[in-house]
Order: sequence, then structure tokens, then C-alpha cells
Amino acid sequence: MIEIDVRTERDIAVVVPRGRLNMVAARELRTTLTRLIEGGSTRVVVDLAETTFLDSSGLGALISGLKSARQAGGDLRVARPTPAVLTVFELTNIDKVLRPRADVEGAFDV
Amino acid sequence: MSESTAGDDTLLALHLPAAPEALDTAHDAFEEAWTEHPDVADDVRLRFVMATMEILGNVVEHAYAPDVRADGRRLALDVTRTATGLVGTISDNGQPFALDLSDVAMPGVDAESGRGLALARDVLDGLDYERVEGRNVWTLRCEGR
Repeated sequence: MIEIDVRTERDIAVVVPRGRLNMVAARELRTTLTRLIEGGSTRVVVDLAETTFLDSSGLGALISGLKSARQAGGDLRVARPTPAVLTVFELTNIDKVLRPRADVEGAFDV
Repeated sequence: MSESTAGDDTLLALHLPAAPEALDTAHDAFEEAWTEHPDVADDVRLRFVMATMEILGNVVEHAYAPDVRADGRRLALDVTRTATGLVGTISDNGQPFALDLSDVAMPGVDAESGRGLALARDVLDGLDYERVEGRNVWTLRCEGR
């Protein structure tokens, strides 16, 4: 089960998935990201501090959001992954294109 | 929805509908099982659950032709402890798996799908597929490191 919270901080949309980002939740995340980006919020940070589990479909939703954000002239960044989530990033080499940031506030600084 | 026929080495014995909700049901069952088997190493838990969720996801997404009614889609998940780790089987009554597992490769970083089986294979010490009496049977083996 998952809850996905969205808030806006200084023109940056912060998306917080709370719980397991599995196949069911990935669909919800994909929809959330698409709506945000189509609605003009093209700078997005996904805060993974409360994401307890990530599978390949959750990863697919992040990649999809990353591509859409970039096509719209913005970007998608991820922050504060838990160790379990970081393991998946590393195993799939996604950390090369979606480099995990240490905090949400500074995710767009560099 | 699920039943447990637990022997000493049995960690899980679940019968579930082959539908997306099965992933959360199985995940909850794993979390409960860890409290009864606290000595299973964190690394083994992490890798085994990761692989199980990928195989379950694959079954739910790909094993059934669109015309198979939801109530006819069934899967079973059995997990047993061994001296050194965990062994699990996932079986379903779907159509045969059409790929050769040895051909499965991790796709490029831009891909939005296609990582599941590669990820499962990479975190496990053994992943096998067989077609047995009209069922797909996946065997997952994970050893402590």
C-alpha cells in the first residue's frame, strides 16, 4: 500500500511516496508525475526517504517521469533513498542517470 | 485468500489470485514471517523479497492471455528455509513463458520496462523456470553471503 504526497517548494514539485513502490504503486506514481509535468511543474524531486521498497516497475515510473520532465524543459531528481532502494538503483545502473541527492532542498542546486 | 500449512522449515505457503494485489499480500506475509524467523539475514531477506516481487510481477503481467477470467488466474508461492538460505517456488496456471532465461539482459538506463527478470536473476544465486504439468514453475534460490 502506498500514499503519494505532493507539495510545492519554491517552484519545485516535491513528490513523497510513502510505503512500497511496487507494481501497483508504480502506476499511481506514473499518473502523479504525468499530471504534474503536463500541468507545468517540470522541476520535480521525488523524495524516497519513506519508500521502503522499490521494484523494476517503480524504477520504470521514475524513468518515465525523468524523460517527460526533460522533454518539457525541466528535470526530475531523486533524494534520500533508503538503503534497500539504493541497492536497486546500483544493481540496475540507474544511479548513473538518476543520481541520488542527499536532501530535497538542494536537489536542484547542481 | 491465503492458507498456511507450516512445517518447521516452511516460511510461506500461499495460494493467491494472480493479480497485482498478490504482491502486497505476499510482501505482508514475508514481513510477518521474518518475525518468526528472526535469524534470516537482512541481506537474504532483501534479495529474496526483491526477486520474488519481480517474478510475481512478471506472472501477473505476462502469464495470462487477456481472455482468461480473473477468477481463473491462480498462483502459489512456497518458501522454505535451507541450512544456508532460502528456496522458493512460484507456480501459476498461465501460458508457457516464451523466453530463454539465459538471453535475459539488463536493458539500458533509458528503458521504462524489461528489468524485472534480469534484476531477479542478478540478486539470486539461482533462478530456474520449468513447465510442469501445464503450470509454470519458477524456482528461486538465495544463499547467505
